[in-house]
Amino acid sequence: MDRIVVTGIGIISAIGESVESNRLALKNSTTGIGTLELFETNYASTLPFAEIKRTNNSLKQQLNVDALNITRTSLLAQHACNQAILDSNLTKAELESADTALINGTTVGGMCLTDELYQDANRNSTTSPYVESYDLASVAIYLQELYNIQGICNTINTACSSSANAIMYGARLIHQGKAKRVIVGGVDSLAKFTINGFNALHILSSEKCKPFDQNRSGLNLGEAAAFLVLEKESDCKNKKPYAILSGYANANDAYHASALSETGDGPYEAMSTALAVARLNPNDISYINAHGTGTENNDLAESAAMIRLFNNVPPFVSTKSLTGHTLGASAAIEAVFSILALQHQELYPSANSVQPIEGTGLKPLATFQKAPVKHVMSNSFGFAGNCSSLIFSIV
Amino acid sequence: METAELKHQVKEQIIKFLNLISVTPADIKDDEPLFGEGLGLDSIDSLELIVLMDREYGIKITDPKDGRKVLTDINTMVAYIEQHRTK
Amino acid sequence: MFYIHQTSCITAQQSFVEPTLRSITESVENKLYATENNYDSIPPNVLRRLGKAVKMGIATGNEVLAKQEVDGIILGTANGGLEDCIKFLNQIIQYQEGRLTPTNFVQSTTNAIAGQLGIMYKNKGYNITHVHRGLAFENALIDVEMLLSDHPTNTYLVGGVDEISEYNYTIEDLAGSYKKEILSNTELLNSTTDGSIAGEGAAMFVVNTVKSNATAEVKAIKTFVTKKTETLEKELSQFINTALPKGEKVDLIVSGKNGDARLNNYYALVENQLKETPTTYYKHLTGEFPTSSAVALWLASMVLSRTEPLALLKIEVANPIKNILLYNTYKGNQHSFILVSAV
Repeated sequence: MDRIVVTGIGIISAIGESVESNRLALKNSTTGIGTLELFETNYASTLPFAEIKRTNNSLKQQLNVDALNITRTSLLAQHACNQAILDSNLTKAELESADTALINGTTVGGMCLTDELYQDANRNSTTSPYVESYDLASVAIYLQELYNIQGICNTINTACSSSANAIMYGARLIHQGKAKRVIVGGVDSLAKFTINGFNALHILSSEKCKPFDQNRSGLNLGEAAAFLVLEKESDCKNKKPYAILSGYANANDAYHASALSETGDGPYEAMSTALAVARLNPNDISYINAHGTGTENNDLAESAAMIRLFNNVPPFVSTKSLTGHTLGASAAIEAVFSILALQHQELYPSANSVQPIEGTGLKPLATFQKAPVKHVMSNSFGFAGNCSSLIFSIV
Repeated sequence: METAELKHQVKEQIIKFLNLISVTPADIKDDEPLFGEGLGLDSIDSLELIVLMDREYGIKITDPKDGRKVLTDINTMVAYIEQHRTK
Repeated sequence: MFYIHQTSCITAQQSFVEPTLRSITESVENKLYATENNYDSIPPNVLRRLGKAVKMGIATGNEVLAKQEVDGIILGTANGGLEDCIKFLNQIIQYQEGRLTPTNFVQSTTNAIAGQLGIMYKNKGYNITHVHRGLAFENALIDVEMLLSDHPTNTYLVGGVDEISEYNYTIEDLAGSYKKEILSNTELLNSTTDGSIAGEGAAMFVVNTVKSNATAEVKAIKTFVTKKTETLEKELSQFINTALPKGEKVDLIVSGKNGDARLNNYYALVENQLKETPTTYYKHLTGEFPTSSAVALWLASMVLSRTEPLALLKIEVANPIKNILLYNTYKGNQHSFILVSAV
């Protein structure tokens, strides 16, 4: 089977607005988690968040967007998508071709307009500019119109693993000959909806999250967008690809609507199936970008699954310790981080983890290091048991 | 309010709050565990009941782990309400 | 491509399930609510938390999963449990971001239906929810087509669900999606005004690559976006040319015509381009919703598997039906063709 390669990447997160600035922050462990400055919520003074310090107006100015009804989620996606398209040198003709597909993963979509949605849903106004902006599909539909993409367009929501499935769906479209190139990724912006939802579940930490630490106390919500351009290796001989997307898998934990099984069955299935797809053994994996949200439940389940799968768990990191948990975007931004590790042959450290979880002995990588990196696994697990793993490999 | 009366009220509130189907206050025994066996409630329900304690009795439980102790059964729940209620 | 083995469906029309019934359930203030007759298949401790979309999805899922095991669950829903979503939103505002109950939040995520089915059937396989508005169900079909190409011995559940909630009705109404005047669904197809009436429903299918005992074959699917009728015309010719076996013709069109005058030109174009082919409609029976093409696929598989087609559809075709073309456009922007054939 022809290999699928990554020919372009783009990202915006709380640790940077470009690929290079994200890499620098990862190397130096510069956190994006802190006090909210732009987003208004009652929790601004009590909970830390990973906020992108750019106003919507500033994003609109930069992106040349006038329309009132383009949400922050769409703007962040456009920012990252522009970078990825430019990076991959896609021509206008390629972009507008019927064999270019666009797949987005998101959990918030246009619901970042929580207050506007409340007003409109309760019919407090007679007209509204936002009625087409609220749903999850609004982002991909906006991007598709913006770039005039004529191929398959889709939006996927599998909670916090959404963009892993967007990447996977895109790769499969190429394998099946339904597309020649795909723009795949995910986005979520901070929203009162998710802040209050996760708070109602008591899983937001009042301090900077400590993934895989015995004293972890929950996650920090963040916002981000990242997109990748995937192509068939044989179709882009004139390009220098970043990495191969060698494995992917989607599995379900089938245990609880909002918690993973303690044995981490779904995570285990996702990781082991991704290895099988990539035709790799567990000991081929050089580095794991773990889901590592910092909640009691996730980190324990993920640890159990890693211990079960790997004789020696390879160096692993939770980059959420710097970026916060960006929900639908998290798998996409972590795909970019995994690709960077391969490209630069380096491993990024995890912040704030001091004491390993009792009984696991697993400690995430604490310092930046140069190392040979051949295959990177990136995990993403979500509510409703939706678990996915991706594997990126050196070309 | 008498304890017996309060117990009945709490049971009614639990049924309404958790939308329990074909369960009457008489079906909920005072010393029967609310979670796991017994009523078969789970971790999400415990978070719901923490909100019930807040909205109905002005009791704020911040750590869900404390919640599970208070919410062991109707007896523990009502004893806690009687001691700590602010409304 | 793949074969349909088990089907189930919930819409406003009880008669879809009991084909001898000839009475039509009528719309109430431009809403055609699905008939919720029986949720016995959902354990009470699960049922108590579920909103209507999740209930409809699980009840229809149960019906087919009771008959056949599957290796994965692939759903399409534009909005999932939107009622729960707005209930949670209302809590946020009402309690000023205070201590809120999480159930509405957990149930409102669009992937809750596929997730709940995964839990109930301990199904650890592929599990996904496509949410691409008017093409959510179509993307689920494309997904399952690719899965069966990679894993030809597997069997999957694929389906579509969406609900009417007061809130999404209001939002869609603000968007001009529904008629300003109150209109009975029985008059919908003759309407000359803008907008449609709201509908809801769920349809589920167990599919695999096994031909024997199948009720229908999904032969081809195509999705595209355009506002131009010329593009629609071109796409239709291309679809028919590539999807239809040589020497065969389309015997029936199942049209998604929804009484919205703004969309009539698209539906008319498809009918005119296949002049010899009779057309049947269903949105006067189901109302309009983003995953209504799941119901259209269910109807097509009913037509192909019964000796006597559903009375309500009023199908008069001289010869046996072999190929059915489903055409739907959501708001005149997202379009899809699905070719369904007799086995």
